[in-house]
Amino acid sequence: MVNENLVKDVVKEPYKYGFVTDIETEKIEKGLNEDIIKLISQKKEEPKFLLDFRLKAFKKWQKMKEPDWAALGYKKIDYQDIIYYSAPKQKEKISSLDEVDPKLLETFDKLGIPLTEQKKLTNVAVDAVFDSVSIATTFREELAEHGVIFCSISEAVKNHADLIEKYLGTVVPASDNYFAALNSAVFSDGSFVYIPKGVTCPMDLSSYFRINSGDSGQFERTLIIAEESSSVSYLEGCTAPMFDTNTLHAAVVELIALDDSSIKYSTVQNWYAGDEEGIGGIFNFVTKRGKCLGKRSKISWSQVETGSAITWKYPSCLLLGEESVGEFYSVALTNNLQQADTGTKMIHIGPRTKSTIVSKGISAGNSKNSYRGLVKMGTKAAGSRNYSQCDSMLIGDQASANTFPYIKSQQPNSEIEHEASTCRISEDQLFYLQSRGIEFEEAVSMMVSGFCRDVFNQLPMEFAAEADKLLALKLEGSVG
Amino acid sequence: MEIIEKIKTNKSDDNLTEIQKICLHKLQSSPLPNPKSELWRLSNKSKLSTFLDFSVNEKDSKFDMPYPKNSQSTIRLIIGENYQIKLIEKNYSIQQLSEDELQKYIKEQISFFKQNENWSDLLNLSLSCKNNILGLKINGSKIPPIEIFSNASSNSLNAKTLVIFLEKNCDVELLQVNLGKENSSLSQSTFFCLKENSSVNHGVVSYGENRSNLLNSLNVIQQKNSSYNLGSLHFKFNYARFEISINQSAGNAKTHIKGMQITKKDEQISTYTKIEFNGPNGFLDQINKSLADDKSHAVFEGSILVPKVAQRTDASQLSRNLLLSNLAQIDTKPQLEIIADDVKCKHGATISQLNEEELFYMRTRGITLTEASKLQLSSYFQEIISFIPISKDKWDLLDKLLNEN
Repeated sequence: MVNENLVKDVVKEPYKYGFVTDIETEKIEKGLNEDIIKLISQKKEEPKFLLDFRLKAFKKWQKMKEPDWAALGYKKIDYQDIIYYSAPKQKEKISSLDEVDPKLLETFDKLGIPLTEQKKLTNVAVDAVFDSVSIATTFREELAEHGVIFCSISEAVKNHADLIEKYLGTVVPASDNYFAALNSAVFSDGSFVYIPKGVTCPMDLSSYFRINSGDSGQFERTLIIAEESSSVSYLEGCTAPMFDTNTLHAAVVELIALDDSSIKYSTVQNWYAGDEEGIGGIFNFVTKRGKCLGKRSKISWSQVETGSAITWKYPSCLLLGEESVGEFYSVALTNNLQQADTGTKMIHIGPRTKSTIVSKGISAGNSKNSYRGLVKMGTKAAGSRNYSQCDSMLIGDQASANTFPYIKSQQPNSEIEHEASTCRISEDQLFYLQSRGIEFEEAVSMMVSGFCRDVFNQLPMEFAAEADKLLALKLEGSVG
Repeated sequence: MEIIEKIKTNKSDDNLTEIQKICLHKLQSSPLPNPKSELWRLSNKSKLSTFLDFSVNEKDSKFDMPYPKNSQSTIRLIIGENYQIKLIEKNYSIQQLSEDELQKYIKEQISFFKQNENWSDLLNLSLSCKNNILGLKINGSKIPPIEIFSNASSNSLNAKTLVIFLEKNCDVELLQVNLGKENSSLSQSTFFCLKENSSVNHGVVSYGENRSNLLNSLNVIQQKNSSYNLGSLHFKFNYARFEISINQSAGNAKTHIKGMQITKKDEQISTYTKIEFNGPNGFLDQINKSLADDKSHAVFEGSILVPKVAQRTDASQLSRNLLLSNLAQIDTKPQLEIIADDVKCKHGATISQLNEEELFYMRTRGITLTEASKLQLSSYFQEIISFIPISKDKWDLLDKLLNEN
């Protein structure tokens, strides 16, 4: 099989996105204080309201404590030993992609991200973020024809300040948690999406995050607003080079869905996970939250988490509007010494709201994989429903799988169902596949992909194929 | 600090037993449980302080038995009454544990205590004096059913401790009844040690009165091939916590738990269970039911720990909850922590109200709404009540639950 050979070739290279692009970058000095924040703000030529927002968040952050409730163990992060702004040097203003440093384009080419607009066939608009800044956004004109705004958040601050001022921090307030406060103080770039009333976004939107320098953190911020009766599908991908130090990634994603709109947010997270001894890797602390403000609005999160040394991530939905819908589909795979504490929060506030949670955790090697979720029915959420399903699969007897579902109900006229199971790869099934001439490791990866099918079905097509391949690669050598 | 002062003013240092001194010492470093810890986060702080408000009482007044002793063969004991128990029959023997045995066992248990997890036990052991500790060693089979009562007097805080050793191959039915009086606090700690091949059907019925409070802790150690069945019911308490800790010390043991808590008015009743498998081939089947009405709050937190040694564990946990009022609240958190890979573990949780279709069906058959809901509730209760030993034939718990208030 051609496909198989391809997979084997790739396997030889344990983490194929681990290269470093040798490019001149502009970095500011290490450390975090008010002056640094002012400097970031100044570099990005931001209006005053944003600087105030940052400084306020910083003050709050200083008073907060790093959370320790997650089932994670990692060495203390020295927040003064991080560079909070790093950008590839390029000409002041770029009018077209031809002016982007070819080295950067080459980097994204290597990652398989189509930035050059000749590759229109893919029909996905991309916003590429390199360290702290967005370097290019494709298909802008085509999108603009439909009234869709898709640009980096720095540009949006300049061109659509009113929207930013109105919505930034309304879903994830600066004081929400330790990492959200840090992000609000120092966020450098990210994507901004605005879908006007009645528009179905003509193509999938995508952002690609790349950490290149080893000593700078990445703090991106994404804001997506879907006006009445609009809909959008958004994809996010992440990679980083291999360093033997840990790099911090603390992002905030805010989604706002108004009446009858729908947002689908898919992530394939493949940050560098550290080597087999657990040296290096990204610390991934992300706050993602969507607000279903409007009636019958819908927010759907789907994620495949395979990378990062530490993952701390709980994409959530606030279901405010009547009959709004929240969904969460997740596959989290941990191998070697990776640790993941991930899950979701479904807060039912409005009446007749619905939510579905499907979480699949696979732990192999010496890793630790926890599902932590909250389902809450508020007093006004009459007629609401929730269904959660969390399955864990253990591979090897060194890995651990934990489930911590918190369920809280204050509304008798609502229904909550939760079920969880833990199992290992069935020997019978394995035997069956092997007796049909399928090799051991391939049989395992087939079964893992079957285990995750409920979630993969929810992913956009390109992602589903990639996710399947990714899992097979990650599991290589962990069985037997 | 207040609570420690309270114990001390009651007695001079010399009168305290060694165990009381050890526990007091442990409590001194942090007199109250950490309200931020997962185990105490949802606990109503003001209710806990009401619990501690009453003065400590070591001798309690006689109480009315909730039901008559209708069979001669039942053994009935009341903690706090001075007994000299030595029953040696052909098939079985029930003897009181000697002072030394008790001391040794309790001290060993204390060495494993953690501040927040075992705070209720620490409080209990620092309060309960010699008279209020009952230790039994049970051996043999065909043992008549045993009933053990523990009660609190009005306007006081009483602490009762029960230690039970089940010797090898022993098989027994035991019902523990905790009775709360109006405005009273009862701290009850029970330690069970099941030796190899022993089996027990344990019932715990905690039945309060107006404004009574209860801290009920149950610690069970199960050796190989033992089987522990627990049926429990907690109702009519202003504030009650039921903490169950079960340790299958070498695996190969069976545990069945069916528990229920019913809250009304502004009551808060919580159940915390921790089940640890420290050996292979363990089995657990647990169901916990809650019913919350009026402005009450019911809490269930169950954790299952399966470390690497516990291969081939089969554990399931189900939390079923009925929320009957707009102002009531239910929190439930079943959790699994698993490292062993060859295991079957599952848990489930549901929160809902009475099934409307069923209600509708019954009403179309001419059954009134009240009757229909009663029927539904009785089937909901029956599953648990039928699992509680001894009680079912003489104390009509179902009737009590359905027809009182």
